[in-house]
Amino acid sequence: MKDKLHKALIDATHNVFELMFNISEISDHPTEDFECDDEVDIAIGIVGDLEGEVIYRFPISTSLNMVKIMSGMEFEEVDAFVTSAISEIANIISGNVATALSDSDIKCDILPPMQLELNENKEYEIETSRCISTTIGDICLDVRLNKAF
Amino acid sequence: MLWKDKYELGVPVIDAQHKELFRRVESFLQALRSEVSWDEKIPKINETLEFMKGYVVEHFHDEEEYQRSINYPGYQAHKQIHDGMVNYVLEVSKQYDQSNNNEDLMQQFGGRLMAWLINHVAAEDQRIADYAIEKGVRGNER
Repeated sequence: MKDKLHKALIDATHNVFELMFNISEISDHPTEDFECDDEVDIAIGIVGDLEGEVIYRFPISTSLNMVKIMSGMEFEEVDAFVTSAISEIANIISGNVATALSDSDIKCDILPPMQLELNENKEYEIETSRCISTTIGDICLDVRLNKAF
Repeated sequence: MLWKDKYELGVPVIDAQHKELFRRVESFLQALRSEVSWDEKIPKINETLEFMKGYVVEHFHDEEEYQRSINYPGYQAHKQIHDGMVNYVLEVSKQYDQSNNNEDLMQQFGGRLMAWLINHVAAEDQRIADYAIEKGVRGNER
């Protein structure tokens, strides 16, 4: 299960970055290498056969680069426009993950993106983190899920 | 520039409409992100928002007609995606009016619309184009 989820997340991120940012080279590695002073954290809730959330941790520089490529405009700080655009990217990646998982008979739906409010006390059966490196910056993906069956 | 040539699908009737849709959304984003104060932006925002809203609905309708004309098998699913976006646009527009032109609401709308539109054209609409090209109906002008 963890391997399927991991592959679906990496593949979906790769596809979205290629389609939307024209970036085909991405690599993933352990989160110990993820260094970031300030970031935009977006949580996508998961319901269905798996329940929990995927947290997308976008460093500020990565966020600004993504929005700049999409819009062709300059952005100097993270504001409501940038946060909303980045949230939609997390939503799109998660939707692609849900579609890929459904091909493996794991049925999940995603909930609308929200800026993160951590619930550190909750325990999860599946907890995994990966850092994805791209030419416009890193992203960290934290997955925290329970099986609903 | 919001439009990029790589978004071209190779189906003339859809590509022409996409370019116009991107032009209208870009005009809206430029008004939204211009350097003047929010109060000074409001008349231009409201004007471009109305133009863009009208064109989004018109374009989706035309694109759905095109899908029907070529018997696109993913028509129903694609229409559901369009309907979801139209409902979102109408809901935000209503909230914006009720909030007396709240800036954060419109900035959020602009960011989501931009990312959604690019993904929709690059991913979802590409499937229509792939089907049209495969069936040899890409030049199917109405």
